[in-house]
Amino acid sequence: MKNYNKLLVALSFIFAFQVQAQEEIILKGKELFGDIKARQIGPAIMSGRISDIANHPTNNKIIYIGAAGGGVWKSSDGGASFSPIFDKHIQSIGCVTIDPNNPDNTIWVGTGEPWTRNSVSIGDGIYKSTDGGLNWTNMGLPKSDRITSIIVDPRNSDVVWAGVLGALWGDSEDRGIYKTTDGGKTWNKSFYVDQKTGCADLVIDPVNPDIMYASFWEFRRTAWSFNSGGYNSALYKTIDGGKTWNKIHNGFPKGQLGRIAIGVAPSKPEVLYAVLETEQDKDKGLYRSEDSGASWKHLNSDFELVVRPFYFSRITIDPRNPDILYKGGLRGSISRDGGKTFKPLGNMHADIHDVTVDLHDSNRIYVATDGGLYRSWDSGNTLDIVKNLPLSQYYHLSLDDEEPYNIYGGLQDNGSWYGPSKSDGGIEARDWHVVGYGDGFRVLKHPTKKIIYSEMQGAENIWRYNLETKELKTIQPLAVKGDPKLRFNWNTPIVTGIHNPDRIYAGSQFVHVSDYMGQTWRKISGDLTTNDPTKTNTEKSGGLSVDNSGAENHCTIFTIAESPLNKDVIWAGTDDGNVQITRDSGKTWSNVTANIKGLPKNTWCYHIEASVFNEGTAYAVFDGHSKNDYTAYVYKTSDFGKTWTSITTPEIGSFARNIQEDYKNPNLLFLGTEIGLYITVDGGKNWSKFENNMPAVAVHYLDLHPKTNDLVMATHGRGIIIIDDISTLRQITPEILKKEVHFFDRKPFVIEEESSFGGTASELEFVGPNPNTSGQIIYYLKKRNTFGKMDLEIQDTNGNKIVTLPAGNQKGINIVSWNYNTRNPKIATAKTLSFGGFTSPRVPEGTYKAVLTKGKEVYTHEFKVVNDPKSVITPSERKLQAEAAKMLFDKNEELAYFVYELDELIALNKKIIEKDPKTAKANNKIDAEFNALKNTMVVTTGDMYVGAAEPQLREKLSTIYASVAQQFDAPSPSQKDNIENVMDLYSKATTSLNALKGKYKTKLIDQGTKLGIPFQLKSFDEFLKD
Amino acid sequence: MKKNSVTLVCVFSFLLASVASLAQNADEIISNYFKTIGGAEKFEKLTGTKMEMSVNYQGMEIPVEMVQLKGGKMYLKINFQGQEITQMAFDGTTAWSTNFMTMKAEKMESEMVENIKQEANDYPDVLLNYKAKGYTADYLGKETKEGTECYKVKITKKPQTVDGEKVDNVVFYYFDTENNVPILTETEIKQGPMKGQMSTTTMSDYQEVDGLYFPFTMNQMGQAMVVKKVTLNPTVDPSAFSFKE
Repeated sequence: MKNYNKLLVALSFIFAFQVQAQEEIILKGKELFGDIKARQIGPAIMSGRISDIANHPTNNKIIYIGAAGGGVWKSSDGGASFSPIFDKHIQSIGCVTIDPNNPDNTIWVGTGEPWTRNSVSIGDGIYKSTDGGLNWTNMGLPKSDRITSIIVDPRNSDVVWAGVLGALWGDSEDRGIYKTTDGGKTWNKSFYVDQKTGCADLVIDPVNPDIMYASFWEFRRTAWSFNSGGYNSALYKTIDGGKTWNKIHNGFPKGQLGRIAIGVAPSKPEVLYAVLETEQDKDKGLYRSEDSGASWKHLNSDFELVVRPFYFSRITIDPRNPDILYKGGLRGSISRDGGKTFKPLGNMHADIHDVTVDLHDSNRIYVATDGGLYRSWDSGNTLDIVKNLPLSQYYHLSLDDEEPYNIYGGLQDNGSWYGPSKSDGGIEARDWHVVGYGDGFRVLKHPTKKIIYSEMQGAENIWRYNLETKELKTIQPLAVKGDPKLRFNWNTPIVTGIHNPDRIYAGSQFVHVSDYMGQTWRKISGDLTTNDPTKTNTEKSGGLSVDNSGAENHCTIFTIAESPLNKDVIWAGTDDGNVQITRDSGKTWSNVTANIKGLPKNTWCYHIEASVFNEGTAYAVFDGHSKNDYTAYVYKTSDFGKTWTSITTPEIGSFARNIQEDYKNPNLLFLGTEIGLYITVDGGKNWSKFENNMPAVAVHYLDLHPKTNDLVMATHGRGIIIIDDISTLRQITPEILKKEVHFFDRKPFVIEEESSFGGTASELEFVGPNPNTSGQIIYYLKKRNTFGKMDLEIQDTNGNKIVTLPAGNQKGINIVSWNYNTRNPKIATAKTLSFGGFTSPRVPEGTYKAVLTKGKEVYTHEFKVVNDPKSVITPSERKLQAEAAKMLFDKNEELAYFVYELDELIALNKKIIEKDPKTAKANNKIDAEFNALKNTMVVTTGDMYVGAAEPQLREKLSTIYASVAQQFDAPSPSQKDNIENVMDLYSKATTSLNALKGKYKTKLIDQGTKLGIPFQLKSFDEFLKD
Repeated sequence: MKKNSVTLVCVFSFLLASVASLAQNADEIISNYFKTIGGAEKFEKLTGTKMEMSVNYQGMEIPVEMVQLKGGKMYLKINFQGQEITQMAFDGTTAWSTNFMTMKAEKMESEMVENIKQEANDYPDVLLNYKAKGYTADYLGKETKEGTECYKVKITKKPQTVDGEKVDNVVFYYFDTENNVPILTETEIKQGPMKGQMSTTTMSDYQEVDGLYFPFTMNQMGQAMVVKKVTLNPTVDPSAFSFKE
């Protein structure tokens, strides 16, 4: 019976496959996107939240970090720099554990950040690498959500314990301590408390591996509240390798407990430290045990020890001294007297989540913060940030229309910033500017003026900042007479007007509008939320430790969208699940939520995208994760919200937050989800995950630049990520995918006139790459070219070859770059190299052809090249430049040929002298004459650096050639004078050469012939080809 | 009924096929590869290869000549402006390169030389008789690379020495499942600013030379090398390999 079922499944699979195959070609992203690659531009200047650090137990050059939303990174240089090693997998990390038995190879990662703030991401299980992080395998625990700790038995690498904190937003049976005895193939739940209480920490005794300590925590979040604490929170100990667990509370207060941090002194394992969250303030803080947990003594309730236990429950004890300990906190703190007193750590970003101490040197520590990883060489007095960790956690972004355009956005605990999409030498720390404090969210450029709006949490401030006058004003809507308390979301929506550039919208429970850049506001709606009083009482939020940061403000408007086609059509979506629309600028609103079939009630409306194609069309994205629902909900309406269609498929692997519609092709849509970017080219019938240089990171917001067609993503853990010019994707149709080769149409390529100067960053600093400014020839191959020759040539319209380019061979989209250069000149051989020989003239603007030859098949595609429209250089100046460059190019090649001829004669003469020593006397004179001339034509001594010889004709000619060929405008009078001078030398040299040839060439050839020495000179054309 | 039994057969063969593909092992993949490219015996008989190539940088073509001999001797010469510059050479004991400032030969660091010596038998192919060289091959499953379904095989060579420490020496090969040849390899970069990241090389344009097949286009991290001519068992002046004071 069982087998029969399997058969049915197999059958249905096959039939489904056949049906699909008939109707359409379905490509997965990896078979389609090819060379279309994302560009990660950081920034790393503010970096982002790091949840865990793991130092190698025997090699202090190796360090791993787990980021809250940015994956796992490895340093092999003692923390000087890091590389990402976990990009294919979910990016929210709980812990990294190195197998003590095989520390170079076996690494475990528990996913899902354990510091459960409102914006925390989710995990999808436990991963293992057996090659030092090159490859990872998911080893199970798929519903664990957050893994706080992993312990590998120091006696046996196959025995591993995992502490699972579990779901934050709902009940779960997947909590507790799990154990494997087969290296992770199978797991058993070895200790479980209940559906609400998970394992917050698990540590092992450094001497006796049968002893472990585990803290369990009862906790829960909703969208409007947080609760830490309960009667089931407890600290447990096992002395039999996890078979039995007993509470060790002797000395702890009675009643409810919250999150408990636990640490064992590595140098004296009977000394334990615990930090408790308790009912009474006087009982909170640090406890110490000197008898392996049999009894506890309360030592300290300092602010840094009790602050926000859900965020800062980590104790680190010095590996050599049991009385030195670090505690995570707002600033982090250190005690040198066994916990009696503490002092704060030095200046660094606030919010300390983890501290580790170097293997050999207790002064050297590493600190994980909300703003990156810090290193200290004096146990935390002075700290230095790691500058190549682009872990920035954006909530939102917007773009302007400058060239290059700028990207504006706000970040978790890292303020608001803007920076360019392109900069000389790459996008570096120096390119980013601060325009807001606190937690940053929406940052908007005024559409026409040099004004930026930015916002900090819950609209505590909305700033209007004039970049020219430096005027800075706070302009958030304020309550007026008769208003109830205004409820602003932590991530308050603000939107600039499309139809009136001075207009700005802001959302509380009302839609507020200002037509005067925030100077005055009016409400254009009533309360658009459910206004549920049970969800608006944030003062009591937090549980045992009140946590009223404003992050739980609920029943608020979260998204506002003005129709690009009709200024009177405005959409609003609320965090408690309402979708409302007005078609008369806010006079009347309709709640269309009930029309959305299949959407669970009160699911957070995260984004509404008003279509550019039709004023009744909009997309709405709903995120249910704060109700413990990880389904992607994306709906489309074409009738102002009367009816809605779901456009998701099971291909979308997690919940979604944002959608971006293309401006040209209504079927091309981009979806930002918790685990990365998905793209559809058929209006949502099929979705493909985009993974080319795109980590599986939470994408919180997307925007498409109308001029460049760049898709720009605000990721919550890997900064800004751009896919340059997505216009190729607009053209994809089933017909194209059936063709062997298809060239995509391209906008004319612009020969950009740009600086070649680099940036200022050191090799330890992150630098975001610039967009490729070469001409990009883009084609689709139905099948990879593995066997047989394939060539790509650029030709002019008459079919003359300009250059051969290395063809892309992969299945899917290939991009081949061409920097508009033609062939470089053949340069005279000398003692050293000449820079001019590596300089190619550019083609003039015009029409060219890409010709792809595969076997007998030839595929041709025409494209246009144009000059930089920003340039002030006139066509006649360009013509003069091209003519001068061509003339000098030709002279370089002619000189090369003359030198070749001369060298051949010198060689012939040498052979004659060798063969017939009688000729020596006369022929040595000839040799001297030849070489005297050669010495004026090319350098024959010296090196490429400070031993360089005095430049000769070749060097002078190639230098002026290179500068003329590289510039865009006509040769200057000074350059013309120089050309005249060089050409004078040139004609003198050729005259001398001709004179010498006249004198000796025939004579030498005759001498050679008599001696049986053949002399065959290549023609000029042969010489060039060779 | 008849119809059903036909379907059933189809299903079984489908299941069998999938079982068979799961049972793929590294040895089979590698032996299929040598069958495809002309046979292991022929490669074993090779005494050397000379490859005349061209490095193509957005259309600028730089001639490169690479000679490799059985036993590990090799040189790589670049032709710049009529000058032949030996970018790297190994004569069996000494490895050297040319300093671009002085244009003079300089010996390579001894660690690097030891690493080169250790792989002297990698010619003509790392995978040829890999077991005899003490290498191991593990099949890691299918993965899509270059838009194409591939078998991923991990080749573990002898550890190398970097900055005084032994480090793993692993190459991941991706064999096109349809063509049985590798189309991409990956190795971890062990030193320098890109340390810890993967260096990727793609191989395409496999073409026949006297019964053996070689990839005529290789692309290492965006830098393309196109083979123009392959000479098997070439005659080479032995002095080309040796260090000149």
